[in-house]
Amino acid sequence: MKPTFCTTGQCRRRSSPWRCLLMAAAAFAALALGSGAFAQPEQGEVMPQTEGSADETEESLEEETEGSVGESADTPATPEEVAGDTEPFEEVTEEDWGEFDEWEEQAEDSPGGKAFHFELGGFVEVLTAPRVVRSSASANEFVANEARFRLNLDATHEVASARFRGDVFADAVAMRIWFDIRDASIFVRPSSWFNMRFGRQVLTWGTGDFLFLNDLFPKDFESFFIGRADEYLKAPSNSIITTFTIKKVGLDLVWTPIFEPDRFIDGERLSFFNPLAGEIIGDRSPLTPIEPLFPEQRLRNGTVHGRLYGTAGAYELAAYGYVGYWPQPTAFDLADPADPASVQGLTYARLAVYGASVRGPMFGGLFNVEAAYYDSFEDRDGTDAAIPNPQLRGLVGYERELFPKFQMGLQYYLEYTVHYDELISNSLFPQYEPDEFRHLLTLRLTQFLVLDRLELSLFAFFSPNELDTHIRPRISYKIIDPLAFVVGANLMFGRDDFTFFGQLEQNTNVYARLRYSF
Amino acid sequence: MKPIMKTWLAVLTAGFVFSVPSVRAGAQDLKDAREIVDRTNVAQYYAGEDGRALIRMKIVDGKGRSQRRQFSVLRRDLEDGGDQNYLVVFDQPADVRNTTFLVKKHAGKDDDRWLYLPGLDLVKRIAASDERTSFVGTHFFYEDISGRHPAEDNHELLETTDTEYVVKSTPKSTTGVEFAHYTLWINKKTFLPSKIEYVNGQGKVYRRIETAQVQTIQGLPTITRMKVSDVESGGYTLSDISNVQYDLGIPDDIFVETSLRNPPQKWLR
Repeated sequence: MKPTFCTTGQCRRRSSPWRCLLMAAAAFAALALGSGAFAQPEQGEVMPQTEGSADETEESLEEETEGSVGESADTPATPEEVAGDTEPFEEVTEEDWGEFDEWEEQAEDSPGGKAFHFELGGFVEVLTAPRVVRSSASANEFVANEARFRLNLDATHEVASARFRGDVFADAVAMRIWFDIRDASIFVRPSSWFNMRFGRQVLTWGTGDFLFLNDLFPKDFESFFIGRADEYLKAPSNSIITTFTIKKVGLDLVWTPIFEPDRFIDGERLSFFNPLAGEIIGDRSPLTPIEPLFPEQRLRNGTVHGRLYGTAGAYELAAYGYVGYWPQPTAFDLADPADPASVQGLTYARLAVYGASVRGPMFGGLFNVEAAYYDSFEDRDGTDAAIPNPQLRGLVGYERELFPKFQMGLQYYLEYTVHYDELISNSLFPQYEPDEFRHLLTLRLTQFLVLDRLELSLFAFFSPNELDTHIRPRISYKIIDPLAFVVGANLMFGRDDFTFFGQLEQNTNVYARLRYSF
Repeated sequence: MKPIMKTWLAVLTAGFVFSVPSVRAGAQDLKDAREIVDRTNVAQYYAGEDGRALIRMKIVDGKGRSQRRQFSVLRRDLEDGGDQNYLVVFDQPADVRNTTFLVKKHAGKDDDRWLYLPGLDLVKRIAASDERTSFVGTHFFYEDISGRHPAEDNHELLETTDTEYVVKSTPKSTTGVEFAHYTLWINKKTFLPSKIEYVNGQGKVYRRIETAQVQTIQGLPTITRMKVSDVESGGYTLSDISNVQYDLGIPDDIFVETSLRNPPQKWLR
């Protein structure tokens, strides 16, 4: 079982996934009942809905007001008819507008404003993603083959609200059923300048497009490469976020009491390059799945994220800070701390990150700059072979609409490894270390057609120094309102086996996804 | 007796005098097309100091297939005919529920726009885009929803009927517009358009916006039902506006990033 996948505390200690779900269901039910959320639909029935609030809506202007067009032929009804314009409202039949009246009756707007507003939604989705290249490392011909059910529950109140987002999915690649609670959180807004959300939630900030510098919240890189919806790139964490807003300046503080790492590529589903083995390894290798040593679950091992942000005219400015761990197991766990060769596994090294970003309009488009210093403070001088070196990361991006409904985005990203000479002279695998300067270019093209129902999109990463690439073409089509079909591909190529995207070459896949939302 | 008579007369006269200006306003037609269009712009897009509405749209394409949209809007004006802030919270279709949209509309320069995608918890800034393209997949354009600045066109008063002004508007610059000109039928009392027809280079009406219902809410005439038709394809979108309230005292400081993540329920309901 992959500890990073089914993600409540109980699951991590290898208990039954059913217990996970039961715990979550019980917690949410208690919460919803306790807050009186279930009483809401009954209230709605008792109080019939009127358009607008009856006492606020004064009687209409005699001439202009008209129930539905074509209602009465002889009285001057529509503004056109009043004006002597005889052209009728073609096609607008009574049934057309009548639909809105029915629609309104269905509406469950809270009449009081004080009561909870309860909402239920979700989707059912199937995804299949076969590999399209021969893989020597992985036995499975599919990177994904799954059927997913998502349940969304919202109980909203003026000062507090509760939210649940949970997935259950049958996974034919791992041959099991997973439960993944993406959100189970409570939001409180005691005053206009202070609010907080606590519980399990997905968090994101920063200005990059698929590139995260100051966003150290957990990500799911496996989902990113196997054709799942974009939202699955972000993994949830059990956190508390507090937001203070004074005038146009905001301060977000996030505390994750138990460090939540990325859901990284561990070899079981997707193959990757392992420097210890010196080759790409997948589920055929006895070394997989990688199970890194996890930091002890103590409060002082939690992570803290901060962001101070505001606007200067049309420009958004932000400063960021983070204290915690590298989100991926990039450090070696040594049996003998004095002997770098005594590697017994992987673990997470301590990390602090400081950064800033600017975003605003320029040359008819949007421009953003972001920088972050990765202070790997357990190895500031870069001599410890077991711990990654500090890095300086930078990003410049530009995005604009070239033609109507056709967007283009360009980014340049740089990763500079500090004390590179020390890294190479101490590294256990100097031949596999990335270059001192890793450059990355990205291109995004998006075209919307047929009243936004058809979306053609392309996202490409290319590193000119590592000579590797990741290309993501995608076609999305909304067949009818709740039903959407997506086909796409995740193409990975590289000159070398050990580079960021090159190591994923054998996972190149095409995928198809069908989703019914409710 | 006389004084009493005088008093009565005074009251009657006063009543008559006071009623005169409104009668005059009705009778005295405006002659300046730009003034009419400016007043239309304010009547249509700047009613009250702030406002709230629930908007439902039904999109019907040329083949008769229909889709729905439902969203709530909060608006606050910084200046009549000038800058405005909007917060839009989507409810339907299901796949965009809780997606929010923040617009800082600037008169005379590009708007600042942000879109919040709840699944990723991502606040995405949106680059300035063509204002005359589909608004959330409907036949309405962004510009129909947020208003076209009167200064972008030359306006000509074609006709003044008993109830309406007919104004022809021709764009000063043809870049970014698909029409050669458009004609507005504007109600003389409410200054709301009852119909707008867009004419292409061949002189053909290819797009039409019609007002189907106007209600007076808190004394302000408000379009509550509208239809936009794409004449060539036969597709159209119906828009129904309900739950309208003006002058709620919505503060300016809710039009910020944190409201995208957690919409201010106090003002939405």
